[in-house]
Amino acid sequence: MKFPYCQHRHSTPDPKSPALEIQGLGVSYSSEGKFALRDFDISVPAGSSLALVGPNGAGKSTLFKAICGLLPIRKGRIRVFGHPLVACHHRVVYLPQRSEIDWYFPVSVLDLVVMGRYVYLGWFNRPGRRDIEIARHALKEMNVLDLVDRQISKLSGGQQQRVLIARALTQNADLLLLDEPLNAVDVSTRQTVAEVLHKIKAQGKTVIVATHYYNQEEGRYDKAIYLKDGQKCII
Amino acid sequence: MHYLTDPFQYEFIRRAVVAAVIIGVLCAALGTFVVLRRMAVVGHALTHSALPGLVIAYLMGGSLFAGALMATVLTALGIGFLARDENVYEDTLVGMVPNVMFAIGILLISTTKSFRDLFSMLFGNILGVTEGDLHLIMLISAVSLMALFLFYKELKLFSVDPNYAKTIGIRVKFMHYGILLFLSFTVVVGIQAVGTVLTNALLVIPVAAARLLTERLGVMMVLSCIFAVLSAVGGIYVSYYFGSASGASIVIFAALIFGLAWIARNLSFPRKRVLKPDTRRSSESIN
Repeated sequence: MKFPYCQHRHSTPDPKSPALEIQGLGVSYSSEGKFALRDFDISVPAGSSLALVGPNGAGKSTLFKAICGLLPIRKGRIRVFGHPLVACHHRVVYLPQRSEIDWYFPVSVLDLVVMGRYVYLGWFNRPGRRDIEIARHALKEMNVLDLVDRQISKLSGGQQQRVLIARALTQNADLLLLDEPLNAVDVSTRQTVAEVLHKIKAQGKTVIVATHYYNQEEGRYDKAIYLKDGQKCII
Repeated sequence: MHYLTDPFQYEFIRRAVVAAVIIGVLCAALGTFVVLRRMAVVGHALTHSALPGLVIAYLMGGSLFAGALMATVLTALGIGFLARDENVYEDTLVGMVPNVMFAIGILLISTTKSFRDLFSMLFGNILGVTEGDLHLIMLISAVSLMALFLFYKELKLFSVDPNYAKTIGIRVKFMHYGILLFLSFTVVVGIQAVGTVLTNALLVIPVAAARLLTERLGVMMVLSCIFAVLSAVGGIYVSYYFGSASGASIVIFAALIFGLAWIARNLSFPRKRVLKPDTRRSSESIN
């Protein structure tokens, strides 16, 4: 089976390998610019959860973007389930910060969530009944099924976050990279997100959450790593 | 009634109306993405950049279509290429390139000492569409609309969340250049109707009007097409009965529809805030 958009073959995860293994990673936004992330090592076992804690600009989003191929790697290597990046596109889902999405584009919540299925459809195929069913199920899980026909421009911050997580769920990935999912959201969204993350983990999936304040989430993750100025730091 | 049917006794009017309908549909359909992706200024740049191509083709006795197409495609790709240099802002290029291209066009036409043909290049002459032009308009429109239909799903994703599109393996550079290429095709077709100066209006105004009335993408595209066709055909009638310039009449007609849509929106949703697109989009990553 081939991955429809980039024609790479699907690779079966290596059961002995960690979900994510990074060695000596160096990433920068331009080819000669300053490293936004340097000498970064990490190994995240499959089925675990990790909090990536650090202030804004610490390199959390940079790390996520490098893992899902949005930024070129200048140094070091990244392996996902024992394979180089391109082999595992579909197994990794990146949930961007809300500000990276054009919420004024005229599509409905269902349209946006179904986009999580595109990775399986590829060019020219339209989402079918099954894809819509999966999207509705994800919305239900996030307790926002009632918003299914609403335009994305009409969502509150918490609703936007729930819808984005629903889209991430529809991709059915094994490694979830969530960038500030709990930033500026209401208490009930916070609770739903926590429950869903717990459920995902129980399914054997790996979750990495970037957050800039950790106190409230303490204890929910198997491990926490602190980032500062593009490097791991010990507190 | 005969006011509506009278013009149809002339072959050139029938041809113009068919051309107007096709051009209207194409401009509105592609214009929807141009407006929603905040690319209206790029459309403006491309329309103005067609002029030197038109003039060179005219001077050499070649096809005006081919000339315009070459000039706009080169400009589109050129802007995309130059914008890769971080020290040159894309919006600066978009502001600069059309002026330079326009100046080259004017400079070239001034060597001929005949400004008569320049008028139809600048402001369009849909009543002068020939059989051959019509076939070319049909071909370009069919290809462009087909591409829009085939890549609709990816265009939506690329517009809402380009980073996610990239993570699932869609080549966003390919999408970006693709949009510019088909925008060039549309511009060249639009020039036939309303000229280089006014084509951007046909890309933008019907969509802007539709955006006031609906927030559904599909409905917006259909409404935009209807508005564009109404403007184009309405403009032809005005031009026929009052002897006014066809391109300008079409654009004024579109503006009137926008005015009506604005009134309709404010009468029916007096308390609703009109959606304001944010300007942050231009920072999206295409690397």
